[in-house]
Amino acid sequence: MERNLQKNGLVNLLMLLGAGIAAFAVARYSNSLAGTVSVLFLGLGIFVAVVSWFQMRLEDSERLEKLELDELARTHGESALFETKDAEVLPARRSREQFERFFLPVFTVLLCLVEAGGAYFLWQWLSATTTEVEIKQPMPGMFLFFLLALVLFLLGRFSATFARLEDQRLLRPGASYLLLNAILCAVVGGGIIGVQAGFPKSDFYVAHALALLLALISIETLVALVLEIYRPRVKGKIERPIYESRLVGLLGQPEGLITTAAQAIDYQFGFKVSETWFYRFFERAILWLLPLQLFLLLLSTTLVIIEPGEKALLERFGRPVEGRVVLGPGAHFKLPWPIDKIYRSRTEQIQSFEVGLAPGAEGEEKRVVLWAKAHSKEENFLIANREPKSSESADDAAGKRTPPVSLLTGSIPIQYQITNLENWAYINEDSPSLLQDLATREIARYLAGADLNTLLTKGRLEASETLVARIQAAVNEHQMGAKIISAGLEDLHPPVKVAPDYEKVVGALQAKRAKILAAMAYQISTNALSGAQAFSIVNRAHAERTAREVGALAQAALFTNQIPAFQAAPSVYAQRAYLQTFARATANARKYVLLTTNTEDVITFDLQETIAQDLLKLKVPAVQNK
Amino acid sequence: MKRNFLAIAVGALLIFIVCLLLFVFQVRKSEVVVVTTFGKPTRDVSEPGPHLRWPWPIENVHRFDQRVQNFEDRFAEGLTADSFNLLTSIYVGWQITDPKAFYPTFAGSSEPIAEAEKALDRMLGNVKQGVIGKHPLGDFLAPVGEGNKFADIEKEILGIIQAQVQANNYGLKIQFLGIKKLGLPETVTQQVFDRMQSERKVLADKSQAEGEADAQKIRSEADTKAAQLLANADGEATQIRGKGEAEAAKSLNVFQQNPELAYFIFRLAALEGSLKDRSTLIFDQRTPPFDLFQGISTNAFK
Repeated sequence: MERNLQKNGLVNLLMLLGAGIAAFAVARYSNSLAGTVSVLFLGLGIFVAVVSWFQMRLEDSERLEKLELDELARTHGESALFETKDAEVLPARRSREQFERFFLPVFTVLLCLVEAGGAYFLWQWLSATTTEVEIKQPMPGMFLFFLLALVLFLLGRFSATFARLEDQRLLRPGASYLLLNAILCAVVGGGIIGVQAGFPKSDFYVAHALALLLALISIETLVALVLEIYRPRVKGKIERPIYESRLVGLLGQPEGLITTAAQAIDYQFGFKVSETWFYRFFERAILWLLPLQLFLLLLSTTLVIIEPGEKALLERFGRPVEGRVVLGPGAHFKLPWPIDKIYRSRTEQIQSFEVGLAPGAEGEEKRVVLWAKAHSKEENFLIANREPKSSESADDAAGKRTPPVSLLTGSIPIQYQITNLENWAYINEDSPSLLQDLATREIARYLAGADLNTLLTKGRLEASETLVARIQAAVNEHQMGAKIISAGLEDLHPPVKVAPDYEKVVGALQAKRAKILAAMAYQISTNALSGAQAFSIVNRAHAERTAREVGALAQAALFTNQIPAFQAAPSVYAQRAYLQTFARATANARKYVLLTTNTEDVITFDLQETIAQDLLKLKVPAVQNK
Repeated sequence: MKRNFLAIAVGALLIFIVCLLLFVFQVRKSEVVVVTTFGKPTRDVSEPGPHLRWPWPIENVHRFDQRVQNFEDRFAEGLTADSFNLLTSIYVGWQITDPKAFYPTFAGSSEPIAEAEKALDRMLGNVKQGVIGKHPLGDFLAPVGEGNKFADIEKEILGIIQAQVQANNYGLKIQFLGIKKLGLPETVTQQVFDRMQSERKVLADKSQAEGEADAQKIRSEADTKAAQLLANADGEATQIRGKGEAEAAKSLNVFQQNPELAYFIFRLAALEGSLKDRSTLIFDQRTPPFDLFQGISTNAFK
C-alpha cells in the first residue's frame, strides 16, 4: 500500500508537471492572460507535490527501518545492543524529524514568499497590459484548457478519494492542487468563451481574479506559519503538513463546503434536510445535471430572436449562409454555436457622430448656445477669405503675411442609417471610422471654398443640403451601405475670440438703422408740420381776401348812406362822429388829462394806479389863444 | 454497463472535438489566413468556411482582416509653395492584397496591421509634405471650379504612395486617400483672429458712418421740403391777398363822391384802429371832449 501511495504521489507530481507545461504552451498559443496566470498555480502545485512526495519517501523509509528493528529485536531478544537511544539506531526517523523541523518551515516560508511575490508581480504585469488582449486561436485554446481541466479533475478526484479512504494526509496537498488547477483551467476556458461571446475583457478580469486568489493563498500560508510557532506539540500525534493550504483544499473540493452548509441548514431547520430525498437526488445527480445544463445551453443557441430595428449577419463556419446572409427582425433557427454565429447591428436606429468636436469634449448639452461663449472644445475649420483686405496690406508691409483665410468653429452632427448591412460589415474594417473620415473631408473641402458670410446667414440650409449630397456620394463611391440623413450646421460660428466683433457689427448695423429711422421720423414730422403750416398760410390769405373784399363793399355801402347825413349837417355830423369814435376808441385806454389853469391840481381818473413820475415833470406848452 | 457506455461516448465526443479543433480551422468572410509550415508561409486562404490543417506546431494559422483598413496620419505642419504654414491630416484606406507577401514583411510584430500602418504613416508623411510644398494655399482654399485643386492634390499623393507601396511589395494596396483636415499653427491662428477682428471693425465703423450720413441726408431733405412748402404757401397767400385788394379797390369810386367825408371817416377808423390795444393817452384841455375842462375852476365846484 505504501508503494502505491508513493506511486500515486509521483503520478500527481508528473501530472502537474505535464499540465503545467501544456497550460503554458496553450496560454502562449492562445495569448490568454488568465491562462498564463494559471500556470503559476500549476507551478506551486508542482513544488508542493515534490515536497510531499519526498516526505512520503522519508516516512516510508522510517517505517521500513522500524520493521527491520522490530525484526532484529525479536530475533536477538533483549540485548544491550538495541537498548541505545533512537537517534543512534533510527537514522531514517531522525532524517524525517530533521526534515520536518527545519526543511518544511523554510520551504513554507519560501512558498509564502513565492505566492506573495507572484501575486504582486502578476498584478503589476496585468495593470500594465491592455484590457483587450486579442485571443488567438480561441476555439483550440478553449478546448485544450477544458481538456486539461478534465484530466486534472479525474486524477485529482482519484487522489483525493484515495487519500481520504486510506487516510493518507501527504497525498492530500497534491490532490488539492490538482483539483484547484482543474477548476482554474475550466475558468480560463470560460474566460475565453466570454471573449468570444462579446465580452472582450472577460479574460483580463479572470486573470485579475486569479492574481487576487494567489494573494489570499499567500496570506493564509503566512497565518499558518505564525500559528505553527504557537501550536502545542503532542508527541505521537499525526500532524497536518504545514505547507498544505486549507483554502486550496476548500476550493478544490467544494463539496466539503456543501457538507458544512448542509450541516448548518440541518441545525437551522431542526431536522435533517441533508437526508431528504431531494437533497440526496440533487447530490447524486449534480454530476449529470451540469452537462445536461450545458447541452441545453448549447441547444438554446439554435434559436435567435432579432429585435425590432435590428438586423444580423449569419455565418456558418465563417461563411455567409446563402439565402440567409442578413436576418431581419423576428425568430430564426440556426445551427448551434459555434457552427453558426450571428453578428447583430442596429440598422434602423439613426446613428450620429460629430465632426469638429475635439476628442473627449463631449460634455453636458447647454440649453443656450452663444457664439462668444465657449460651449465645448471645438476645432477650427479653414474657410477662404473673401472679406475686404483691411489689414493685409499693413501686414504685408511689415513683412508678416497673414494667410488669406478665415476660421470657423463648431461641431457638425452627422446622422446616418445603415441600409446595407452586408456592405457595411464586410467591405470596410471600421466603417463608422471611415464614414467619419469621409464626412470630415467633405466638410473641410466644402468650407475651403465657401463664403463665410453667406454660410453664416442665408446659405446655411443650402450648405447643409449640399454637404449631405456630397457625403452621400462619397459613401456610395465606397459602397458602404449607409444613408446620410442630415448634416447640421446650426452650431457653426466664428471662433469665440472673434465672435464679439461679429456681434459688434450687428450692433453697428442696428445703430445705423436706428439713426436712419430717427431721421425718417424727423422727416415725416417736418413734412407734415410744414404742409400744415403752408395750408394755414394759404387759408389765412383767403380769409383776409374775403374780409378785405367784404369790408370794402360794406364801407362803400355805409359811406353811400353817410353822405346825405353829412350834407345835411356837416359840422354836427362830423363832431358827433368824432366824439362817438373817440369814446369808443379810448374806452380801454389809460388817459391822462393835463390842465394848465391850475397846475397844482392833477385829475387822475384811475386812482388805483400811481402816475409815472416822468409824466409829472412833463412841461405842457403854453396855451395859445387863437 | 450503461454508465460506461455514456462515459465512453462523452470521452469520444471530447476527443472528436479536440481533433476537429486541431485539424480544422475556419476562415470568416472578412478574413484572410496565411498558413505557415514550421514557420514558412506555404499557402494563403481567403475563401470563407472550414479548412484542413496540420496541428500545431507543424502548421500555424495567421489571420488578417482582408477588409479595407482605415487609418489617419498625424496632423502635421508643412509649408505651401507660397510659404504659408499649413497643418494637414490625411486618411488612407488600404487592403491586404497578397497575404503571403504581407505576412513576412510585418510578421515580426505582434500587431502586423499596426506595424503596416506605421510603415505607411512614415511613407505618407514624406510624400504629403512634398506634394503640399508644390501647391500654393489658394489650391486648397477656393470654391470648387474656381481654382480649388483639393481632389487633384489627393490624387497626386495617392499616385506616389501607390507607386512606392507597389515598389516595396508590401502585399497591400492603397485603395483611397483623402485630406481630412486643414489647419493653421497656433501663432498664425492668432494672426488670422486679429485680421478677422479688423475686418469686423471696418464693417462696424462703416455701418456707423453710413447711418450718420443717411440720417443727415434725410433730415436735410426734410428741411428743404418744408422750406419749399412754406415758401410756396407764402407766395400763394400774397397772390390771394392781392386779388382781395384788387376786389376791394373796385369800391373806392364810391368814396370819391365826397372825399372830405371819406378822409374824415378814414381818420376816425384809423384812430379807432390804433387805440385798440392798451394805450396810454395824455390829453390837455384843448382836446375835445376834454376842452370842456377849459374855464372850469375846480374851486367853483367846492
